[in-house]
Formats: sequence, structure tokens, C-alpha cells
Amino acid sequence: MTSTATNATVRRRRSFSPKDRLTLTAFVGIPTAFHILLVWIPAIGTIGLSFTFWTGIHISDIKWAGLQNYNNIFTGTPVFWDAIWHNVIWLVWFGLIATPLGILLAYQIDRQIKGHRFYESAFFVPVVLSLAVTGIIWNFMLQPGGFVQGMLGRDIGNPISIYGNYDINTYVILGIASWRHIGYIMLLYLSGLKSVDSSLKEASAIDGATEWQTFRKVILPTMKPVNIIIIVITVIDSLRAFDIVYMIYGSSTGWPILGILVFQNISGGGMSMKGAAYAVILFVLCIGPMITYLKQSFAEDVK
Amino acid sequence: MTTIVVDKKYKNSQKTKDRVISIFIGFFALAWLFPIAWTIWSSLRPYNDVIANGVFSVPETLNFDNYYNAVRLMKLPMYLTNSFLITFPAVVLTLGFGSLIAFVVSRYSFKFNVALLLFFTAGNLLPQQLVFIPLFKMYLAIGDFFGNRALLYDSIVGVVLIHVAFQLGFATFVLSSYLKTIPKEISESAMVDGASVWVHYTKIILPLLRPPLASLAVLMTTWIYNDFFWALVLMKSDSKRPITSALARLQGEFVTDFNLLAAGAVVAALPTLLIFIVLRKQFVSGLTLGSTKG
Amino acid sequence: MMSEQNNGISRRSVLKGAAVGGIGLAAGGSLLASCGTKDVGPMMWGGRGLEESSVQWHEAVKTAFETATGNTVTLNMNDAGAFQDNLSQYLQGTPDDGFDWMAGYRMQFYSDQGLLEDVSSVWDSIGDQFAESYKIASTGSDGKQYFLPTSWYPWGLHYRKSTMTELGLDPENIANWDDFMKMLEATKKKGLIGYALGDKGGWEAMGTFDILNARINGYQFHVDLLAGKEKWTDAKVAEVFKYFEMMIPYMNKNVLDISWEGMRDLLLQKKCGAMMMGSWFSGDFKTLSQADYDDLWIVPFPEINPTHGRDTIDAPIDGLCVAANGANPEGGKALVEWLASAEGMQARLDSGNTFTSANKGQDTSSYDPFQNQQLAVMGEAKYITQFLDRDTRQDFANPVVAPAIQNFLRAPKDITKILEGVQAQWDALPAL
Repeated sequence: MTSTATNATVRRRRSFSPKDRLTLTAFVGIPTAFHILLVWIPAIGTIGLSFTFWTGIHISDIKWAGLQNYNNIFTGTPVFWDAIWHNVIWLVWFGLIATPLGILLAYQIDRQIKGHRFYESAFFVPVVLSLAVTGIIWNFMLQPGGFVQGMLGRDIGNPISIYGNYDINTYVILGIASWRHIGYIMLLYLSGLKSVDSSLKEASAIDGATEWQTFRKVILPTMKPVNIIIIVITVIDSLRAFDIVYMIYGSSTGWPILGILVFQNISGGGMSMKGAAYAVILFVLCIGPMITYLKQSFAEDVK
Repeated sequence: MTTIVVDKKYKNSQKTKDRVISIFIGFFALAWLFPIAWTIWSSLRPYNDVIANGVFSVPETLNFDNYYNAVRLMKLPMYLTNSFLITFPAVVLTLGFGSLIAFVVSRYSFKFNVALLLFFTAGNLLPQQLVFIPLFKMYLAIGDFFGNRALLYDSIVGVVLIHVAFQLGFATFVLSSYLKTIPKEISESAMVDGASVWVHYTKIILPLLRPPLASLAVLMTTWIYNDFFWALVLMKSDSKRPITSALARLQGEFVTDFNLLAAGAVVAALPTLLIFIVLRKQFVSGLTLGSTKG
Repeated sequence: MMSEQNNGISRRSVLKGAAVGGIGLAAGGSLLASCGTKDVGPMMWGGRGLEESSVQWHEAVKTAFETATGNTVTLNMNDAGAFQDNLSQYLQGTPDDGFDWMAGYRMQFYSDQGLLEDVSSVWDSIGDQFAESYKIASTGSDGKQYFLPTSWYPWGLHYRKSTMTELGLDPENIANWDDFMKMLEATKKKGLIGYALGDKGGWEAMGTFDILNARINGYQFHVDLLAGKEKWTDAKVAEVFKYFEMMIPYMNKNVLDISWEGMRDLLLQKKCGAMMMGSWFSGDFKTLSQADYDDLWIVPFPEINPTHGRDTIDAPIDGLCVAANGANPEGGKALVEWLASAEGMQARLDSGNTFTSANKGQDTSSYDPFQNQQLAVMGEAKYITQFLDRDTRQDFANPVVAPAIQNFLRAPKDITKILEGVQAQWDALPAL
């Protein structure tokens, strides 16, 4: 980009009319004010509230609690560690299985194997469905009298336990989440792949490299920016997971995860702001990936 | 000569490998679509038929009765209307605001440009739960200030506004990335010609933004339509809820009539499915713009 | 520190009042007719429970009210679980004027916060239709009333008479725990589930815990435990879970997969013997068929410890509250006054809803055998509790006790560790 020189020129030349100044202020000011008011101020508010005891009802009742909520969570709430464990498993699964599968799919589809247009759509359809619909579809598949039970030969009165079977329910939930996640990653990667110079791929093939070598040594390094984005999305989505678990278990801690703990502890009836503390913990865990994402996306600009 | 022979051999073995890969993936693609197909299939079968003859039985009848009943009993038109009333303004406002910021940040060199973009993008990544408690109180307070407690809470306006606030980051990011690929000269000449900022924006930049705006519109519509959380926690009246938040409730109400529920789910999914089928190109390019920088 | 948990509904008089019926204002609708209820509308009524039977009687009663008083009511039905979860936001925001709610601690918390409208004036008007102990249950910590009772129901062993006859069992005559175990064993031998339980929602199993604790350790210990005066690490509590564990082999294998609807369906489909539940679901049986409803029966949970016998029962009281932030609190008061009166209750009965009225003037002559049996079950007990999640702090019941019981059902051997966790979390709760 050769804009630096022009940039300098523009800067020197500029002097804004009052009308322009007003327009610019409005253009920037209104959306920003909006964003700050509805996103950042409440976010900071929640962070602050996590250090208080409060019923959530009368502001005059807010009492300072210091780190007590956090202490309670870390030392006195066994279900918290169950939840964290589930978030970790979610992350590991997504990171080692779902995301790589999405990447591999994208790669193969990009190579335009037979039927690639159909595959591209097929894998992506679950992504456009709302999580509420996804929950219903899978509840439908797995419930007593449903498809899976039927295939296992169990009728409606004698189903095998799925959501309540703690040996397998984790995998079932992760499977449903992957059903969505893989298509999403696939499409993101695919769009990134489209911008990779095809001559690169061809040259590698002529040099006698196998497809796998081409992928590892040529494609992957070139896709570094997209790789980072994909990794960040994988991490953040694992931490923020909520909708699917809520559709299955409601707000009970049948299968604890951070997102559910926040939701469960946010409704009133108590004095602690444990829900806020959970939300802050969730946020803190996301900060690392967020910063990575921002660094990757804005590296050039900051320079 | 040897190279060509080697090439051909390599190509042939690669071709067979490819065919195997294709079949393998094809199998998975069908498996992928199966749950959806099963739901649609179930929605076409009357509940009594399934109960009497079992899930795998060959159907006696296939009809749209479930759809007729779903629309009637589940008040689907009401919920779909609410979804539309939330999604459409939210998308328009988000794109509007986003384009304003993207415009200023990419066409003019202010010191705060990068900071602003960072700010918005980070805001987009915040978890929704982090924001909820103070937002609820704020909505009530603002409502009280204007004399109508239900101004923002339990209102479509309130849900629209929070969607806009949250999605602004992504829209801004995408639009500013796109604008960076537009030569500065265009803006240059406009400014030399004495165009005001307003004219610069409306007559020059905005028309150029059509492609990413279209893509973003498709993406945002899908995301906002599919959202589950905000309407669930910010609305108390069932009659104002969008279809996605209503589905959770409908699942509880009709838990025993699976086939009816399936029909309801299909109807709820139709808008986004249709958008995806018809406007797929925009969808994909929207994601492309969002994931890679020009 | 802890506000009074138990609202003292422990007198036999409560039960006498409801069970006798037919006295006083039996056909007394006329005394109440349109007393001060004209022209205070329109109002909004928040209803709980989306089952068909629930929606049906709400609509029938609403129509009756509109006809009787000439006011208009907008009905806003909600899923019970979601309504409970979001009540704090609901009451702070734009609540309906009158809404369905529960007595006990759950009501007191919100009245203490000033979110409920004082309905003492309604009590002044129709208070004589309720036994004294109901008034106690409806009173907040400031001595004023915030709740109007409408119905209550017992938690007990429900079963199908036909199934029990087929199995050759007689649940009405189980004298002790051994008999109960024999009954479960006999049921299991015939290929049915002895004791159906679904705890996916986290609260269903509390019914079993409550009754076991009351039977083994007595009413006072149960109440004190929930108030924090006794410890969960006490050997007495471990004893409760020992008995609980004995029942597990006779339960369905997918306890944590299904919620209360699943339990109900097991009984509906004749797949189980007995089920511990509150009688509110009986309407669903009626929806299926009258024959199924006639097949349904309830008995108290058997005695375990002769010292306590069967003297305690969970019999939650449901009723109405008026929201302080509603658009029309006066209208709300008029609404709940009519709904809770004998006239309103009659309208509900007329709609076919099979509940048991809290109104002592209720004409119970129209009660069917099952309703009368509910009254009998409640009448037998000396002490009444409201159910665990209504008798203790809300930030304790669902976030702490519910997952603890679920963990126990998953891994009964871990109970000591689980109970230590529960006690630790109670100790860590901030003072209200």
C-alpha cells in the first residue's frame, strides 16, 4: 500500500469546516457513545459488582465484599471445578478434533474434489441454524422414541440414558457442538484458502510433494493470519459455550459449564453477586485470546 | 520423458486417492445433513401415526397437518413477526453505524483511529453474560427517566439496541478492512473538490460499500435472528419474544408431541435457511472479509 | 441472622379447616359478588405453568372473572421454570399486576425487598375464608400480608390402582420401611420400575430427600437443617442418604436424563409402580383420559422411624401475589381478591381442574375421590413443610443442594464429601 505518502499530504492539507467537524463528531460520537453505554459501562459495572454482596434489587443495598465471592467460588464451590473441567475438555476437543477436521475439510474442498460444492453447503447448514433449533433437532434424535434410541432397539419406555449418563453425555454434547463448529471453521478456512495463490499449490505439486506435504509445508505457513483467527475463535467459543447446554439441561447444573453457572447465579434470591464473579472469570479467561486476535488483526496498523 | 511418466503415475494415484477422499467426505456430508432430514421427515408425519406404528414404520400418511397446527397452536406468526421487528432494524442500524465509524477511521487519519477500532473489536468479543445485570438496571433507569418503565425493558427497542451495540464491532472491523482496499485517490479528489464530509460519505463511500454491506447484512441477519440470550433475559412478555427465544418455551409446552415440535422448529429455521440458500455468495464473502484482511 | 424460615404452618387446624369444607361460605359467592371489583381494570395476570391443563383453567377463570366483574384481564402465561428463574427481574421491571406464586420463604424474600404489594386489605375483606395458619404463611416479616393462598397439594407416593392390583400389592397398608422395600422388590421382579425418579431439573429429588429426612429425623430437625441451625455433615443427614441409596436399585436407570415430566410419563405409560411427587400433575392424567385419572391414587410415604411416624408432609401452598411495580396495583388487589375467594376457586373447579382449594369455605362436595384422598393425606399429618426449595434460601436450594443430590445419585459412595461441600457452601453464604 502506498498510502503513507498520500496520508501525509492529506494530513497537511486538511482543515475542517465547522460543519464538517460537526459531522465527523456525530459520525464517530454517536455510535461510540452507544457502544460504550450499552457494552463497556455494563461490563465494567459487572466487574465492579463481582466484588460486592448484592441482591440485585435496590442499589442502596450494595455491600462491599472484596474477594469473598471469588474465594467462595474457588474454595467452596465444587461445581465450579466441574464446570472448568468441562470448559477445558470442550477446548481440547475443539482444538484437537473439531477445528482440525474443519481445516482438513476446507483443504479438501478447496482442492475441488468431486462434489465439493455440495459438501461446502452440506457442512455449513448447521451453522445457519439457531442454537435453539439445533437443540430441538438433537433432542429429537436422542430422546426416548427417537432415531438413536430406535436404532439401538430401545422403545419409548426403555431408553438408554444419554444426557444423564455421565460416561457418555460429554461426548454427545461435544458431538452436537462440533456439528456446528466444524462447518464454521471449514468455511472460514475455505475463504482464507481461496486467497492463497494457486500457483503456490501447483508449484509444490510439480516438485513431487504429496498433498499432505503441500498442506503442511506450503499452505499452513501461508495461512498464518487465518490460523490465528481460527485458534482464537476456537478458544473463545469453548469458553463462552452456553446455548446448547442450556437447551438440554435448562438452568440446572446437570452438565456444569461456566456459561451456565453465570446464568444460574444471576437470577435473584440471594445476596451474593456470584454470577457476576463467574462472568468476570469467564471474561478474564477470554482476555488472552482476545488480545491475540487484536494483535493479529491490527499488527500493521499499530506499526 | 521420465518426468511425464512419473507425473502421470502420481496423478493417477492421486486421482484414486481423491476419489476415496471424496466418497469418504460424501458419506460424512450425508450423515451431517441427516439430523435435519430426520426432523423434516418427522414433521411430515402425524403424531398418532408414529405412536401407533413406531418411529421407523413406513408412514400411512404424509401431510402438512403438523405445520398447520404448529402455526396455529404455537402462535408462530406472532413470534416470527417479533423476530422480524427485531432483526431488521438491528441490522440496518448496525450497518449504518458501522459504516460511519469505518468511514471516518479509514478515510481520515486521526490519532485515535486504531484505538477506536481496537475498542470496537474487543467489545464484540465480550461474553454476553458479562453485561447483563447492569444493563438490566440501566434499561429500567432510562425507562423511568422517560416515564415509561417498559421503554427498554420488555420491549423490542431494548433488544434491538443491545444487538446493535454488540454487533457494531464486527461490522466496523469488516467495513474498515474493506475500505482500506479502496484507493485513497478517490477520497482525495473529493476533498480537493471541496466536498463536505457528509457528501464524501453519502455520495462517494457509501455506494462503494455495497458489496460488503450486502454480505454483512446477510451475516448479521442470521446472527441476530438466531440469538437466544437477549430476548430471553430482557423480555418478560411472551407476546413480544422472537421465535428463537420462544422455542425454548415451546419445547416445554409441547414436549410430548415431537412431530408438532419438529414442524415448529422447521418453520423457525426456514428464514435463515432460505437466506443461506439464496444468498450464499454474500454469506461466504461476508465471512471472508471478516476473517482475513485485504 | 436468618429470618424465620418456618411460617408456623404446623397446626392441625389448617388441615381441619380445609378438609371439613361445606361450612360457612359454601355457596357464598353471593356475599363476594362484585364487591369493589368494578372499574379497576384493565389488569394483567401472570400465570405459571404451560401444560395444557394449566392454560385451560387459567383461561376459564379469567373469563369467569371478566363476566362477574366487568373488568378486562390480560393473561400472560409463562413456563414455570423460567418464571421462577427470572422473578427478580420480572418484579423489578414491568410485572403483571397479579401473578401466581408460592408461599413461604420464596414469598418473604421478595416482600422484604419491597417488590410485593401489601394485600392486608384483601385479607381484611376475605380473610375469614382461610384458616389462621394460612394467614401466618401469607405474612411477611413486617407482619403484613403479601400473599393469597389458592391451592395446595401433598407430596406423596402416587401410583396406578390397576398396576398395583395386577402386582398383588396394597400400598395403602404399608406399615414400615421393610414393607416398602418389599413392595419395590415385588414391582421390580415383575419388570417394572419400583420407584420412578427423574432429577434432570435438580429439584425433583428434593421431594424424596425432604420426606426421608422428616420420616427419619423428624420435622424439627428438617426445619432446623434448612434454616442452618443443624449441619449437613451431621450423622443424621448421612442416615437419610443411606436410606436414599437403598432405593436406587429400584429406580429407573436414567434418573438424571429425565425431568419431572419423564417421571409422570413413566406412570402414565404404566412403566413404574410408585412415584414421589406433588399432586399438581393429576390434570395431565385427566387430559389423557378420565379412566386414567380414575386410576390414579396417592398415599403418604411410609413410616420409617416410629418416633415420628407419618407426622410430616410437604404440602406446598400456591397462590397469588400482587406486584408493587405493576401498572395497576389496585386492580391487581381486586383481581387476586376475586381469584382467591370461594367464587374464583369455584370457577377453577368448574373448569375441571383437579386441585384442592385452600379456601375453607370451599364447597368440596364436587371433589372427586382423588381430590378427597389428597385432603386425607394432608389431613393425616401434624406438621406441614413447603418443600425444600421454598423453605430455604434460594441461593442455596438450587445452586447448592440440587447439584449435591444429583452428584449423590451419580456416585452414592461420595456422599460424605458431597455433604461436606454443602455445609461449606452454606457457611460461605453472605448474610441477608
